[in-house]
Amino acid sequence: MKLSRFAALAVSLTALVGLAGCSSTPAPTSETIVIGSQAYYSNEIIAETYAQVLEDAGYTVERQFSLGQRDVYIPALEAGEIDLFPEYTGNLLQFFDPAATQTAADDVYKALGSALPAGLTALAMSPATDQDSYNVTKEFADANSLVSIKDLAKITGLKLGGAPELAERPYGPTGLLSLYGVTVEFQATGDTTVDSLVAGMVDMANVYSADPRIKQLGLVTLSDPLGLFLASNVVPIASDVVNADARALIDKVSAAMSAADLVAMNVRSVDEKLSASVIAQEWLVSKGLLKK
Amino acid sequence: MFSIPDLAAWFADPVHWDGRYGLWFLLLEHIAITLAALLLAAVVALPLGLAIGHTGSGEFLVIGLGSISRAVPTMGLLFALVLLWGVQLRDFSLLVALAAIAIPPLLAGAYAGVTTIPWGIRDSAKAQGMTGFQRIRYVEFPLATSSMIGGMRIAFIQVVSTVVLAPLVGLGGLGFGIVQGLALRNYSQVVASSLVIIVITIVGSQLLGWLQQRTGDRLDPPHPLEKK
Repeated sequence: MKLSRFAALAVSLTALVGLAGCSSTPAPTSETIVIGSQAYYSNEIIAETYAQVLEDAGYTVERQFSLGQRDVYIPALEAGEIDLFPEYTGNLLQFFDPAATQTAADDVYKALGSALPAGLTALAMSPATDQDSYNVTKEFADANSLVSIKDLAKITGLKLGGAPELAERPYGPTGLLSLYGVTVEFQATGDTTVDSLVAGMVDMANVYSADPRIKQLGLVTLSDPLGLFLASNVVPIASDVVNADARALIDKVSAAMSAADLVAMNVRSVDEKLSASVIAQEWLVSKGLLKK
Repeated sequence: MFSIPDLAAWFADPVHWDGRYGLWFLLLEHIAITLAALLLAAVVALPLGLAIGHTGSGEFLVIGLGSISRAVPTMGLLFALVLLWGVQLRDFSLLVALAAIAIPPLLAGAYAGVTTIPWGIRDSAKAQGMTGFQRIRYVEFPLATSSMIGGMRIAFIQVVSTVVLAPLVGLGGLGFGIVQGLALRNYSQVVASSLVIIVITIVGSQLLGWLQQRTGDRLDPPHPLEKK
C-alpha cells in the first residue's frame, strides 16, 4: 500500500514530464470542456466523475490530468486553458488568501467565493472532505484516553510529524499551542509521515482525512472541537465555458459524494489498483448518475 | 513574488538562523550528510578502483557502474530503499542512495589514477622487487592521489546538490528550506537556501581543486635543471 503511493508519485512525475514536452497544443474550441486534476490520485478520481457525467450528457471533454500542484495549474485555470477543476475549499482559500482566518465549512466556502479571481466560479461544494487532521495510533489513543485534540494538553514531550510546511501553517505547532494549549516538538517527516507514526518515531501526525491508511492502519483521528483546521470540502472550480446545464450536472455529482464515498474510492485505488476511470464509473452507476 | 530586498531581509532575520530548522543547523546537517555519503562511497570505490587499476582486470565495472548510476534516478532509489528497509533506517537509505551517485566518479578517479602512471614508473617498481602491496602502497596510491581527489571533486558536487532530496523522506539539510519554501510559496526562503547550497558547492569544489593541483605535482615534479 505504501508502494502504490510512491508508484502514483512516479507516474504523475512521468505524466508531468510528458506534459512539458507538448506545450504547443492549440487552444481548445469553445465547445470542449477541458477538465484538469492535481497530481493526486484521489483528485483524479473526482475529476473523472465530472468528465464521465459530462460526456454522458453529450459534452466534448478533454482530460488534462496530473497537472501537479497549485502553482502549476492555477495560472492555467486563470488563463482559461482549463475549464473545470476539482478543488478543496480550505486549501484553495489558503492559496489565494494566506491570511484567511475562517475555519468552518460554510465560512470557508463563502470566503473562497470572494477570493477567487474573476472568471472562475466555485460551484456548490460537496459534503466530501479531504482536509488536514491530526492522527495518533490506536495504542497511543488508548494509553492516554485521547478523543479530541484538547486531550493532548496533558501530555508532555509530544512529537508531531508532518510535511515541512506544517511548521509554518496556522494549524501547526503555533495554533496547537494558542488554541488548545498543546505543546509539541515538530519533526518534518515529509512523505514518510504515516510510516513514522506507525514506527513510533512521532506521536501524532498530520494526515489528510481521506487517506485510506487512516482506516487500514487503524489510526485514530482526533476531533477538532475548537476548529483549528480549515474545513476543506471538495469543490469544483469552473470557468465561463462550463454553462448552466453542465454546472447542474456537476452539482448533482458533488451533492451525491459523501466523505465516506471519497475514502471508499481512495481505498479502491490503493488496494485494488483500479484506474480512476473505472472507480469513477462504478461509483456514478451506484449513485444512479450514470446508466450502465 | 521575489525580490533582492526581500532576500536580504530574510537573511537578516535571526529567526531564520536558529533552532532545529534554522539555517545554521541545516547547513551543518547538509555538510555532515554530504561528508558521510562521500566517506561511505570512498570506502567502497577507492580500494576497488585501485585494485582494478593495479590488476588490470574488472575494467568493465568502471564503465558499467558509471552508466548504471547515470540511468538510476536518485529520488526513485531513495524511495525504494526507504520502502525496503523501513522508515527507521531512512538515514542509512539516504546515505546509500547518495553513495550510489558518488561511487562511479570515485571509482573512475582511482582507476584512472593508477593506469595513467607512466608505465616506466610502475615497471621499475616491479623491477626493484617490490611486492604487489608495496607497489600499491608506495607507488600507485601516492601517484594516483591527485586523480582520486579529482574524482572526489565530481562526487562532491553531485552529492552536495542531491542532499536536497532528504526532506522528502523526513530528513533535514538545506533542502528543507527549499521543500518547505515551495509549499508555503516563500520564495525568499527557497532562493536563500539555494544560495547557501551554491556557496558550499563552490567553496568545497575550489578546495578540492586546489588539493588536486597540489598533489598533482607529485607525478610531474619540476625538472632539476629547470629554473624556478
